[in-house]
Amino acid sequence: MKVTVCIGSSCHIKGSRQVVEQLQHLIAENGLKEKVDLSGTFCMGKCQQGVCVTVDEAFHSVSPETVEDFFNTQIKAKA
Amino acid sequence: MNDLCADIGYKSINHFGEQLCGDHVDIIEQGDNSTVVVLADGLGSGVKASILSTLTSKIISTMMAEGMPLEECVSAVAATLPVSSEHGVAYSTFTIIHLQNNQTAELIQYDNPHVILLRDGENYDYQKTEMNIGGKQIFKSSIPLRENDVFIAMSDGCPHAGIGIEYNFGWAIEDITSFMETIVPAGYTAKTLSTMLVDECYKLYGGEPKDDVTSAVVRIRKREPMNMLFGPPSNRDDCDRMMSLFFSKEGKHIICGGTTSTIAAKFLRKPLRPSLNFEGSDLPPTAEIEGVDLVTEGVITVARVLEYAKDYLKDNDRYEDWGMKRDGAAMISRFLFEEATDINFYVGRAINPAHQNPDLPITFSIKMSLAEELVDCLKQMGKRVKVSYF
Repeated sequence: MKVTVCIGSSCHIKGSRQVVEQLQHLIAENGLKEKVDLSGTFCMGKCQQGVCVTVDEAFHSVSPETVEDFFNTQIKAKA
Repeated sequence: MNDLCADIGYKSINHFGEQLCGDHVDIIEQGDNSTVVVLADGLGSGVKASILSTLTSKIISTMMAEGMPLEECVSAVAATLPVSSEHGVAYSTFTIIHLQNNQTAELIQYDNPHVILLRDGENYDYQKTEMNIGGKQIFKSSIPLRENDVFIAMSDGCPHAGIGIEYNFGWAIEDITSFMETIVPAGYTAKTLSTMLVDECYKLYGGEPKDDVTSAVVRIRKREPMNMLFGPPSNRDDCDRMMSLFFSKEGKHIICGGTTSTIAAKFLRKPLRPSLNFEGSDLPPTAEIEGVDLVTEGVITVARVLEYAKDYLKDNDRYEDWGMKRDGAAMISRFLFEEATDINFYVGRAINPAHQNPDLPITFSIKMSLAEELVDCLKQMGKRVKVSYF
């Protein structure tokens, strides 16, 4: 599974750093390091909906507050 | 002509409790490859000393740069300086470093501590000729320049540092020399070297300098070109033209901006690999493209570089931030402030529609003023900057 987080200017201001760090932590905690390939990307062109995250091409709008929910429903459940 | 150039920087701190510095440094460029640096130390401290040293350094640097003979400069100073009612004399010591065509340094020294010259990192004892101008004992030297020569001029506040506190007789010139010998090989800029010397004096004075303390450093180095790309062109059709101009230039290449680096990666047909390592910084991470020396995010990173640049030109308090860290802004700062002498700056004027949101502090006008202000700061650092807008 490939999870990509936007680290461009706009998403950075909206908290992409917190999103990345929480995902790194959650992935490690749940022992999913082998299954999930977490990477960064620059602007996806959807800055209004940031923080932009894709899971195998599917687009999601995530914020530091919703990242745990997002991880449980979109990553943990499907991995 | 040769490919040498001079990196010049200075820093002063005031006599404890004074608002004005009694030392003054003036730097005047004379054409493209010659520069006059004057460090003057006015008698006493505070307003009076400040007036004496400012007048002295301004008169000498302006007259020297216009090609007047030394004798006339000195007599003009002697005739101009107001006589102190307290001391009955008009007095300001001075050191002149006159760089001629980047080939020779002429040193003219009057009553300041003698200039230290480090050649290949070691103290180099140069010849001095004593002369007498208007009753003043003046030392003159002419030194052919070599790459990595470092000239360190200072006011007597440096060797007086620590008298009665750390040392009985102050910080001996020999000890200042060995202190500088240990830090010069690390490749710091002239500004940082003078800051480190003055900071050390401040410590030796126990935080309460008994005199104004100034040091001015001249580093002779090879010219180093650097190229920086910031923002995509306003017209999409100009992408290839902008990229091929940028990549055809000699020297290192820095790319700032997400979209900009995506365009560059496409142009080079190489993958763009953003990192997720934040390096303990609050800035966005950097990325990698094969063939590019540094790839970073745009506006937020460049805004931080500008902050560092402004501080560097003033107090240089944050050099430990940008001098050591591994985030994008620190790396750009080291490339631009320390390594580069000639900078080609390619600024794209595209408007990112997603950024034109009143909630975001990264609008188009902010981006353009960032670029302009950064260019201004780099010029003040003595860099030759060429800007092309697309």
